[in-house]
Amino acid sequence: MKKAVVYLNQFFGQIGGEEVADHPPEIREEKVGAAMLYDQLLDGEVTHTVICGDNYMGSNKDKAIDTILDFLEDVEFDIFFAGPAFQAGRYGIACGEIGKAVKEKFNVPVISSMNIENPGVEIFKKDIYIFPGGHSAAKMKNDVTKMVEFGNKILNNEELLPAEEEGYYKRGIRHQYFLKDKTPAAERAVEMLLKKINGEDFESELPIPELDRVDIAPAVEDLSDAKIALVTSGGIVPVDNPDKIQSASATRWGKYDISGMEKLGNREDGAFKTIHAGYDPAAADADPNVVVPVDAMRAYEKEGKIGKLHNYFYSTVGTGTTQGEAARMGREIAQDLKEAEVQAVILTST
Amino acid sequence: MKLELGNFYVKDINFGEKTAFKDEILSINKEEALEVVYKDEHITEADIKIVRPGDMVRLVPVKEAIEPRCRVDGGALFSGVTGKLIQAGDGKTNCLKDMSVLVVGKHWGGFQDGLIDMGGEGAKYTYFSSLKNVVLVADTDEEFEKREQQKKNHALRWAGMRLAEYLGKTVKALEPEDKEEYSLEPVTKRAKEVTELPSVVIVMQPQSQMEELGYNDLNYGWDTNRMLPTFMHPNEILDGAVISGSFMPSSSKWSTYDFQNFPLIKRLYKEHGKTINFLGVIMSNLNVALEQKERSALFVAQMAKSLGADAAVVTEEGYGNPDADYIGCIVALEDAGIKTVGVSNEATGRDGGSQPLVTLDPKADALVSTGNVSELITLPPMETVIGELEALARDGLSGGWADDEILGSSVKEDGSIIMENNSMFCGDQIAGWSPKTMKEF
Amino acid sequence: MVKEIERAGFPVVQMANLIPVAKTVGSNRIVPTISIPYPLGDPSTSKEEQWKLRYHRVGVALDALTSDIDDQTVFDVEI
Repeated sequence: MKKAVVYLNQFFGQIGGEEVADHPPEIREEKVGAAMLYDQLLDGEVTHTVICGDNYMGSNKDKAIDTILDFLEDVEFDIFFAGPAFQAGRYGIACGEIGKAVKEKFNVPVISSMNIENPGVEIFKKDIYIFPGGHSAAKMKNDVTKMVEFGNKILNNEELLPAEEEGYYKRGIRHQYFLKDKTPAAERAVEMLLKKINGEDFESELPIPELDRVDIAPAVEDLSDAKIALVTSGGIVPVDNPDKIQSASATRWGKYDISGMEKLGNREDGAFKTIHAGYDPAAADADPNVVVPVDAMRAYEKEGKIGKLHNYFYSTVGTGTTQGEAARMGREIAQDLKEAEVQAVILTST
Repeated sequence: MKLELGNFYVKDINFGEKTAFKDEILSINKEEALEVVYKDEHITEADIKIVRPGDMVRLVPVKEAIEPRCRVDGGALFSGVTGKLIQAGDGKTNCLKDMSVLVVGKHWGGFQDGLIDMGGEGAKYTYFSSLKNVVLVADTDEEFEKREQQKKNHALRWAGMRLAEYLGKTVKALEPEDKEEYSLEPVTKRAKEVTELPSVVIVMQPQSQMEELGYNDLNYGWDTNRMLPTFMHPNEILDGAVISGSFMPSSSKWSTYDFQNFPLIKRLYKEHGKTINFLGVIMSNLNVALEQKERSALFVAQMAKSLGADAAVVTEEGYGNPDADYIGCIVALEDAGIKTVGVSNEATGRDGGSQPLVTLDPKADALVSTGNVSELITLPPMETVIGELEALARDGLSGGWADDEILGSSVKEDGSIIMENNSMFCGDQIAGWSPKTMKEF
Repeated sequence: MVKEIERAGFPVVQMANLIPVAKTVGSNRIVPTISIPYPLGDPSTSKEEQWKLRYHRVGVALDALTSDIDDQTVFDVEI
């Protein structure tokens, strides 16, 4: 039988109201409060209930999460439910925080429910399944039913339909999907075109998402004292590609020693080449410095415009590489740069 | 310009004494057909096989697909490519329908090559599993590219075209089962009731990104890398003026068969005179430098404006940096007041979490999505493999790999495979067949 | 990738041809290059011209690293 764990706050976990919102986390090997409703509907059994006060989670987040993850270390479970949190903001955020942590640590599906007004929706919809819920506990049965029906589909290995059909908030995760009626793209395109021409409502199959921005790092104060590193997504590697970086959809990166080199040697010299499959390699193979400008950096090093060119350059392939992988490689490279006490980076892309 | 496509529906294909089409059956004299293939001395080994929908057969590395046809009044099927330059799109061309000629490497594959499963759960990923196919499986002495990831595949692709012409000749003097007629009056000479309808152009962005000649799509034999956007009659495309190239991950490609049957063009034709005034095709391109991309968008928008287009469909043969051409062109058209719809695939990564196109712009508010290039696909072994299964892992196919820390090799010992959709042969069917879209999960 | 490096606190300048892509990705300091396959040196020009162009644009990139900016900025190049 499949096993589930349910997370509730102090109120739904029947500890008490606002006066006990500082209640520290506890786990009980039984079904408490709303957990009983889950148990009735689930194709499986709720074995444990985790209860934590909303304020405790709010003000001791890391401690609360660590404690709960420790509780769960020895518990066997296939799915994790949190909430429903309705419109209660602190409860929603608590469900999101613990849900995200459980998902990351135990890699089990995590399902919650929150009203659209709940701030937890925006913060956590990418991390866990969140179903739209009612404003208040009056909708408890309704909200739990939606969560459990979807949970049952997962537990029974049924085909999961797109978010809009299953009903949970969209997560920004897009996969290809064979249309049930097999309407060909040409048909859909012309239909959309006619609607657009006629000023009727139409639905783009790719709504343009909002873009994630990062804070601008402060400028380098004194370049002549700075160590600068070269990083490329243009796939320049030693000719034998020692790190076996893939020529598309890369998951690997490499760092290559250039100390003492005035410039990068080319493929013919048996030195460097590109393994990037997304562009014509001729120019980069003939002169890799057009992608990783070691020669120009050496000139500036000699002139004293920069303090030093870092002894290694970093390379991977940009084409087809997922954002997740690119971000991970970026973090790993950043870590290496930190250890090498690099001050700034020139990243060349192809 | 008037094009009459005469359709001969092929119910089955077999080998026989004489190459002929009779009673809905295409018979092939294999020896004679192979002679046609061997006309190019670079072909070192060749065989012809027949596969049908539902056959438990896996084809890899697939390089090209062509519909066998014949010009009733004579002349090369692919103007400027397989013969002298003639005007394509005007006259009668007879077509063997429900079938294609597929070109498969006997050993060696490359970045742009793909895979087709004719039966089983993998069949749904390509259009060509729904056709009967004459499969040319061959090897060449093109040593210079044998181990290169990017291959021109010249000898094989041209052999495929010769074979398609050879088979097409079987119906030269026969009366087709039915006919499709395509004609458009000159843009300025159309009836008032037509010109009063919203005017529409289709902007095609064929693959033209290799600066070295020999890899790109050809337009009347001219390398599209050396081409600026130009105005074409849709009949030209439907009649062999443009052939597929040998660059770009396979699922994003338009095969020559796709050009010959381009569903988006046919669908716009269907609306012509009813809901729209179909002006024609702006044949654009895909580029590698921003300035080139911007220049093309400028040409396209100007041409569309000058033609009086009210609306446009833009479609690209590719993904990755070509998305910048695609979105750039859509934005330029929208800025010119032309209501535009885009048709392309996405690259959201194996986990589905990546940015779908490399450039995005809120002005591109009407997009049709035809698939995710990096979707992971696992398929069981097949009874028969035509070509060489190992090519998927060994030869740098865009959706295959030799080893991966977690997934291992694309090709398993038992013959089962794990690959990215990238290498499904013309799998995203961007020409307009795609029954796939993209959804949030 | 560029975003993660910047998130870690490094000033980073992206040298890229496809400015719209670099902008969409969220690069803050951008210096244009001349193409995708040869960002910093057109093989159809002389070695000397390629060097001049590369030296100039890398110099612009280095100056970009010392520039305080408030918003995504594409730095001008002369050659």
